Amino acid sequence: MNIVVCIKQVPDTPNIRIDRERMTIIRDGVESIINPLDRIALEAALDLKQKEGGKISVLTMGPSQSEEALREALAAGADEAILLTDPGFAGADTLATSKVIASAISRMDPFPDLILCGKQTIDSDTGHVGPQLAEELNLPQVCGVTEIHVEMNALVVKQLSDGFQNTYRVSFPALLTVSQGLNVPRHIPLGDLEQAFLDGRVLRWGLKELDLRPEEVGFSGSATTVVRLYRPPQKRKGEVVSGSSQTLAEHLIAKLVSLSILDEDEAE
Amino acid sequence: MVLDPKMKQAVIRRTVRKFAEEKLVPAAAEMDEKAEFPARVAEEMAALQYFGLEIPAAYAGAGLDSVSYAIVIEEISKASGAMGLCISVHNSVSAFPVYEFGKESQKQAFLVPMAKGEKIGTFCLTEPNAGSDASSIETTAVRDGDGYILNGSKIFVTNGGVSGLNLIFAITNPSQRGREYSVFVVESEREGLEKGAQEDLMGMRGNPVCPIVLNDCRVPRENLLSEEGQGMRIALSTLDGGRIGIGSQALGIAQACLEASIKYAQERYQFGKRIADFGAIQGFLADMATRIEAARLLILRASSLRDRKMPHSRESAMAKLFASETAVDAARIGLQIHGGYGYSKAYPIERYYRDAKVCEIYEGTSEVQRIVIARSLMNK
Repeated sequence: MNIVVCIKQVPDTPNIRIDRERMTIIRDGVESIINPLDRIALEAALDLKQKEGGKISVLTMGPSQSEEALREALAAGADEAILLTDPGFAGADTLATSKVIASAISRMDPFPDLILCGKQTIDSDTGHVGPQLAEELNLPQVCGVTEIHVEMNALVVKQLSDGFQNTYRVSFPALLTVSQGLNVPRHIPLGDLEQAFLDGRVLRWGLKELDLRPEEVGFSGSATTVVRLYRPPQKRKGEVVSGSSQTLAEHLIAKLVSLSILDEDEAE
Repeated sequence: MVLDPKMKQAVIRRTVRKFAEEKLVPAAAEMDEKAEFPARVAEEMAALQYFGLEIPAAYAGAGLDSVSYAIVIEEISKASGAMGLCISVHNSVSAFPVYEFGKESQKQAFLVPMAKGEKIGTFCLTEPNAGSDASSIETTAVRDGDGYILNGSKIFVTNGGVSGLNLIFAITNPSQRGREYSVFVVESEREGLEKGAQEDLMGMRGNPVCPIVLNDCRVPRENLLSEEGQGMRIALSTLDGGRIGIGSQALGIAQACLEASIKYAQERYQFGKRIADFGAIQGFLADMATRIEAARLLILRASSLRDRKMPHSRESAMAKLFASETAVDAARIGLQIHGGYGYSKAYPIERYYRDAKVCEIYEGTSEVQRIVIARSLMNK
């Protein structure tokens, strides 16, 4: 089974700073990591490869420094790494990003059996790229899967949605986006990291290699623009309660019941 | 294509930190309290090649450069000084000399299981009457047919309780007493080798430090590392790398002190505000951070010289001296920031305080490092 895993390098910090002029996230001076759900997608690919054989290609679109994420993926066990990079790709929204990735995947020979993405990224959190990519490539898709099995030449996947567990049977080729809980990514042996940075190969594809026109991609190929980016004021308010421990306990229990955290029976 | 080495090192640091935060941080307090080595975590570390850091892949190691090696030790030590000590000693003064001075057959027999973490190594130089004055060791190795018979006592053996292979320094030419000594790789199960009870230490309690006694312990000639009389050369060349390891260990402890102090200072309110808002506390934190960064640069300097195969005795001594004094200082100031709570076991700072101290003592005391540095200044 040939699998493509799409990954994104994201800032490793909960305190994201914003460039108010350009309406973008400031990435300079912030350490970057593989988006955690993308790492889970890669781990799922490694598990599938172990069972089914085949090849894993990891793909990312980003600046030169994204190579770091690809090499880490090679160390984790990916067979091939492709960096989609070009000054023309800058300023892309999720649609323009999907277009570039789709163009890269459609160039792969043989066409992959399975494309895996994280459900969303911790930086922009849109969850668009996976579904848009599936539409671009005209593939069946299931988003937010928590289990993947291969049965009789098809995928059987489970998805949690609105409190229901859905099970789907999906024919190949297909695209899945994965959720938390699918697996726990393994720790990478230090020697594999060393090797990936020493002799790991990262292919670089730009506008020319993908045969794309500048107006199709990047800022000009984007359907959306960010008008404003800001941190909404926090509206959380604390409530101070005073009184005897008995009153405090009663108040707290009533509160938990009113928030449906405790049942009334339990409260009794 | 020229790769930015910093890219690799950033990934290595992050990988190790993640492992350490997941596996060692939760275990560290109990390791200290029960004076217990975490065998299960060590097994996981072995599978991830933490026991063959600088050993090439051909001998089952990770093949890291020295800068990366220092980063690994720092991050592990930040989570657990005792485990940082274990891998620092195993890698730098036990496995590395076998790699550097061992014959091919010795590498196959000893180095490969060490790099795989199947056999944890020790470095047995210190004796009851030979500490800083290493040349006064009394352990002897007397030729006996095609082997040697070893007799003597080694003390404060780091990793002793869990070791599989031990590098024993012993006098092979008693007529030149003190000058001609040699190194033997001695298996823990060999008859005549006995381990004493684990030392009840002030810090680094998760490391099973113990004495090792050799009582008519017969070893074959194949266990002699390099040639007879090469002990001093092996010790000196090994300790340069060892000092980078201990420096990195001290750095990790210092960094842990800083991070714990930053956290505490922002949580603790006195006089109606966070203590982090007081100038005195800010000054403490700024000084700690500045010294820690300087220590990190000294270690980077020594380890990058080592990577380029350039002399680095002085730089290693400087890095070890400065980093260990920085750690002791960071622990002292960090505990002061924590106030009364810092003096209790509710916070890890008291463990850091106890762990940090020994960095100024082992693998050459601060006083010995100053001698090494001063001599290098005058022997130009």
